[in-house]
Amino acid sequence: MIKYILKRLVLMIPTILLTSLLIFWAMDLTGGDPVQIILPENATVEQQEALRESMGLNDPFFVRYFNYMVGIVTGDMGQSYITGLDVFGTFMHRLPMTLALGGTALIVSVIISIPLGIWTAINQNTWKDTLGMILALFGVSMPNFWLGLMLVLLFSLKLGWLPSGGSSGFKYLILPALTVGFGLAALITRTTRSAMLDVVRQDYMTTAKAKGASYNRVIYGHGLRNAMIPIVTAIGMQFSLVMTGSALAETVFSWPGIGLLIVESINKRDTPMVTGSIILCCILMALINLAVDIIYAYCDPRIKAQYSKKG
Amino acid sequence: MTKTTANAEQAVMTKESLKQFKGRSMAQETWRRLLKNKGAVIGMCFMILLIIVAILSQFIYNYEADIITMSAGSSAQAPTLQHIFGTDKYGRDIFARIIYGARYSLLIGAGSVFIGLAVGILLGSLAGFYGGFIDNLVMRANDILYAIPNIMIAVVVVSILGTSPASLLLSLSISAASAFARITRAAVMTIRGQEYVESAYAMGLPTWKVILRHIIPNCLSPIIVQVTLAIGNNIIAASSLSFLGVGIAPPMPEWGAMLSDGRQFIRSYPWMCIFPGLAIMVTVLALNLMGDGLRDALDPKMKK
Amino acid sequence: MSDNILEIKDLVVHFETDDGIVKAINGLNFNIRREKTLGLVGETGAGKTTTALSVLNLVPDPPGKIKSGTIMLDGKDVLHMTDKELEEMRGNDVAMIFQDPMTALNPVMTVGDQIAESIELHQHVSGKEAFEKAKEMLKMVGISESRAYDYPHQFSGGMRQRVVIAIALACEPKLLLADEPTTALDVTIQAQVLDMMKDLIVRRQMSMLLITHDLGVVADVCDDVAVMYAGRIVEIGTADEVFNATRHPYTEGLFDSLPNLKARGEELVPIKGLMPDPMNLPEGCTFYPRCPYATDACKAKEPQLYHMGGTHYVACTAYQDPNFRLRRNSNG
Repeated sequence: MIKYILKRLVLMIPTILLTSLLIFWAMDLTGGDPVQIILPENATVEQQEALRESMGLNDPFFVRYFNYMVGIVTGDMGQSYITGLDVFGTFMHRLPMTLALGGTALIVSVIISIPLGIWTAINQNTWKDTLGMILALFGVSMPNFWLGLMLVLLFSLKLGWLPSGGSSGFKYLILPALTVGFGLAALITRTTRSAMLDVVRQDYMTTAKAKGASYNRVIYGHGLRNAMIPIVTAIGMQFSLVMTGSALAETVFSWPGIGLLIVESINKRDTPMVTGSIILCCILMALINLAVDIIYAYCDPRIKAQYSKKG
Repeated sequence: MTKTTANAEQAVMTKESLKQFKGRSMAQETWRRLLKNKGAVIGMCFMILLIIVAILSQFIYNYEADIITMSAGSSAQAPTLQHIFGTDKYGRDIFARIIYGARYSLLIGAGSVFIGLAVGILLGSLAGFYGGFIDNLVMRANDILYAIPNIMIAVVVVSILGTSPASLLLSLSISAASAFARITRAAVMTIRGQEYVESAYAMGLPTWKVILRHIIPNCLSPIIVQVTLAIGNNIIAASSLSFLGVGIAPPMPEWGAMLSDGRQFIRSYPWMCIFPGLAIMVTVLALNLMGDGLRDALDPKMKK
Repeated sequence: MSDNILEIKDLVVHFETDDGIVKAINGLNFNIRREKTLGLVGETGAGKTTTALSVLNLVPDPPGKIKSGTIMLDGKDVLHMTDKELEEMRGNDVAMIFQDPMTALNPVMTVGDQIAESIELHQHVSGKEAFEKAKEMLKMVGISESRAYDYPHQFSGGMRQRVVIAIALACEPKLLLADEPTTALDVTIQAQVLDMMKDLIVRRQMSMLLITHDLGVVADVCDDVAVMYAGRIVEIGTADEVFNATRHPYTEGLFDSLPNLKARGEELVPIKGLMPDPMNLPEGCTFYPRCPYATDACKAKEPQLYHMGGTHYVACTAYQDPNFRLRRNSNG
């Protein structure tokens, strides 16, 4: 297993190199001219040229890319054109906010939606099932930034219970987390339900019942353990959605995470900040995907056996 | 002699009783089951209505006069009989803008999915069928796209091509293509090993015919379902990107852009935010109802 | 105490689906004697598996509904047990072996745990003791104890079926329901598994309901035979009676469609036609449309059971005429 993880980590390197090359190239093609952003408007041509030279902007593309990648390894990804702050440092400073938001949303939605999914599945074709499914259908159909706006409208502006933006305490986390979590919970509920419906039809469920296992033991002991495999896959696939969702919720609620950082940087044409943040996000995603695959192996002995064989 | 007659007789019986038993083709059967599903029928009716309205809006409203031109006199009016969804900050009728804006959502949602579908099916079936180098190439490219959140892909594409409906369409089709390639590949790999495909080979069919006649039709149902659901997802994604300012820019009446416009006035004029969002939700809801209905209809064992 | 471990009376089971009512079992009657094996024979779709599931009261609901009838297990009606009584009965008094060993085992649990679960549920021992006992069970079915920690995907089909048998026998049930236990296995493995089952049944003094469509297996293993068609018993008796004094046209058809290794070149005579659609059963005798002896009387009314002597009964209207004989019997 450890061998497998190491192998996956090594395999991640070319993927990251290629991804960052792609992003670096794209941003290089389009990014604003830093010299015009940094220097005052009345700067002379000589001053501009001197700055370009000192920033290494006149080097050939691959030299700049190489220097950039060397920088990544040492945690130096350049400075923001706007604030002059270190990109890596800013990203790391903002990351915990996004992790707090995405993490809370994810954990709460998993806690709510897995039992809800099971409940709807075992009550299939009754009003309970219909109710749960309608709720989940609304959840997956609603644009979450709009949900965020509606929550602000209701809880902040009309009722005045919760703040509409900012980040100075737990109260500030509730609405953004709800915004990100609702769609997520809806998705996991739907996945859990269909996974459970699939599992309860399997022969081994009848075997378990024929042994004399109680209803709960059959559903939770045998059923859920098998249903966890597609559920974990689905949750793993939702991480990129969590990232997107967080970016939107952060914009709506001025939550100072990396989503807001990227959106602001794009609007200000702060190329190093955008490039660096996107590359770091991709590395983060790759690590999360690896973690999901490992959890996956613990859910299913067949996959674990495959890993060991390959590793 | 008796033996052969008996066998032939049995074969005839089998064929006849099968005909009696099935009676309808697979597509007809699916359609019949789909019509039994109330949600799917509601969703379909709504989508048909929306498409008709989106086409007619061309003739009802004048883009310049009704949709874009500002009129300070009617600024920020609450919903009335004359303006049933109210007017925005610039005095434009929100109902007219939403109706007119339906085309952007529909075209970008459906367009990006169909482009992605074409590319994805091609790459996915090649990868799944031939395996080896092609498979590796496609799947590694897929891994890279998989690691980049959709929104980042859009950011990169939009920053190269600028904000326009076309760049939004392109960026959404990239992630759609990646998803469809993955589904097709998995389906093809499962079906490739089935005996009926081997028997098609044994009968001497060329590879491309085997793919076209036996493999594609058999992985169609997961793809059809995914198409319906993906259109809904991409409509949400398109409006999200417009909301963030990297999709379609105002004054075009795209729903996400309208929300982004209305957001600053949510305190005083909430209708500017409520209605465009409702439009997105109802449209996606209709598509999801259709997708769910299709899935149940195509996979009858999931029902009773 | 009755002589029978199991008595099924007038059992009716329907599956209520969207497309219509599937009449799987329509007035089923048979008994299983203590320490004897009854073979339940019939084509696919005759309702054999549903019969076995009914004994455990495990007919999948929805869509399955046990409409009426009684199933007396050792004097207690299974259909009127509480959930708790059912749980205590299943696996302990009656255990079941399933047809397909590839799907009958939980893929994410070790086989040891799966056998131990049954022991833990019924014998109130600690998890550790149960696991030790599970290892013994594995050894009994001919699998090394060390493999208790392996998962089902690490076993072959025959080995898995042995595991399924070990689960079923773990609590020494009085009645074993074996649903085509060897159909999914290779012929050589079939014989091994069957021999092992036969041996265990005798040693542990169990009764068994053996469901199969393989008449060879029946001849080899069973004391009594019941032939099932479209949810009813058409002929029942001891193996000797049914095999050597066949009375029902359907049973005759089953024998005629069997290849005979000793008389090679002899012609096979298949039963013409197909099983009737259980949603749309014919009036009167359900076998009438396929029966070579059919008369108008068969169409008119559902046949009653005629006593043929001994424990032999047959459901065929033709026996109203005391001189009626099947071709098989009149020829030789």
